[in-house]
Amino acid sequence: MSAADAKPRLAPGVKLRDDAQGSKLLGPERILELDEIARAIVAQFDGQKRVSDIAAALAKEYDAKAADIQVDIEHLLKDLTAKGYVKS
Amino acid sequence: MTDLRPIGLLAELTHRCPLGCPYCSNPLDLVRAGQELDTKTWTRVFAEAAELGALHVHLSGGEPLVRKDIAELVNAAHLAGLYTNLITSAVGLTAQSLTELRAAGLEHVQISIQGVDTARADAVAHHKGAAKAKREAAKLVVEEGLALTVNAVIHRGNIADVAAIIDLAEGWGAGRLEVAHVQYHGWAIANRASLMPAREDFLAAAKIVEDARKRLEGTLVIDHVIPDYYAERPKACMGGWGRQVIVVAPDGRALPCHAAATLPGLAFDNVREKPLGEIWTNSEAFQKFRGTEWMPKPCQGCERAEIDWGGCRCQAFALTGNPATTDPVCALSPDHQKMREMATADAASTNGTYRFRRIGG
Repeated sequence: MSAADAKPRLAPGVKLRDDAQGSKLLGPERILELDEIARAIVAQFDGQKRVSDIAAALAKEYDAKAADIQVDIEHLLKDLTAKGYVKS
Repeated sequence: MTDLRPIGLLAELTHRCPLGCPYCSNPLDLVRAGQELDTKTWTRVFAEAAELGALHVHLSGGEPLVRKDIAELVNAAHLAGLYTNLITSAVGLTAQSLTELRAAGLEHVQISIQGVDTARADAVAHHKGAAKAKREAAKLVVEEGLALTVNAVIHRGNIADVAAIIDLAEGWGAGRLEVAHVQYHGWAIANRASLMPAREDFLAAAKIVEDARKRLEGTLVIDHVIPDYYAERPKACMGGWGRQVIVVAPDGRALPCHAAATLPGLAFDNVREKPLGEIWTNSEAFQKFRGTEWMPKPCQGCERAEIDWGGCRCQAFALTGNPATTDPVCALSPDHQKMREMATADAASTNGTYRFRRIGG
């Protein structure tokens, strides 16, 4: 399966949380702060949508090139998967 | 005054526990059931912790499942907005209780194991059937779709099994494994000569852990807590005194770390009498070693002063009799060499008997 076809989801026990201090992922014994772009991407990781679909949707929303956004998503996905926050 | 906000609350719901692990981090002077906080007080404490900025609550003990109100407590913490983590021996965790806990808002379960060999693991836990109960409970946790962490405390008696422990955690479907060498507080100090591994055995185990970390990246997160006595730099204990974590003991005392009650001359406020936020900000105990002003040389002015915050106060006291001195784990401490010699002597000891943890022990 290519990275574009992956359907990422948050790993068991991982939650997206928004509060006055910003957005973060909460997992067992860990916290990861997310910037606005990372938050927008992670919010789409529902286990249903493919990376390519997410890129297309965010490209529309942010008026950017889908190919560029897909690079960002794949980069973030790789990092969050290695850290155990996301599964696909 | 402080602008600091805690990120976690360690709620020691009880000191009661079916197991008797000789390295238990609880104090030797255990709190009895009659002195425990009630449901209503814990509910208030969870709300105050969340208000103060805490994100995680670690429901611990002792064994939190011995509390008859555990599902109610999980729910109260969940409703307060905290990420709920149950730290359990898993003895007494059934399919029914797990379903209830999940419905109450439980997000993560951490199960301790004593090793991979059933008989030896049960001997260390001082509880026949513990290993089997843990295996079955871990399966239920994963089947419920809950996140599972396996916590393995490492010592001389199981250090040869580290590779097998990693395989076991992977096989159980855990998302995270803590390979945690014994920290010498509480009961572990009393059993140090029976627990201390040899330095070369630690180095061999550390290599196995680091290799596994790479191999299992994306499958199993491995957190590695190395044994202080073989380290050159101290840990930022609890992320620094009064910086990240509040511990509330079963009887309501609010502590900067779970061993702080062993320190002489410190008075601890109780959540029965004061709100958590006031204790965090103003209490003498939380301010005592907060920041860098209290530091002696060589911590004072050290480039690592705000990295390790002087290490562990309880360890400094346990090894030198002075809680306000540099943690002897630091190679710059005048007590470092003495600590290393003590560890070497303990590791060479042929003492294989344990003083098991028990109330009134």
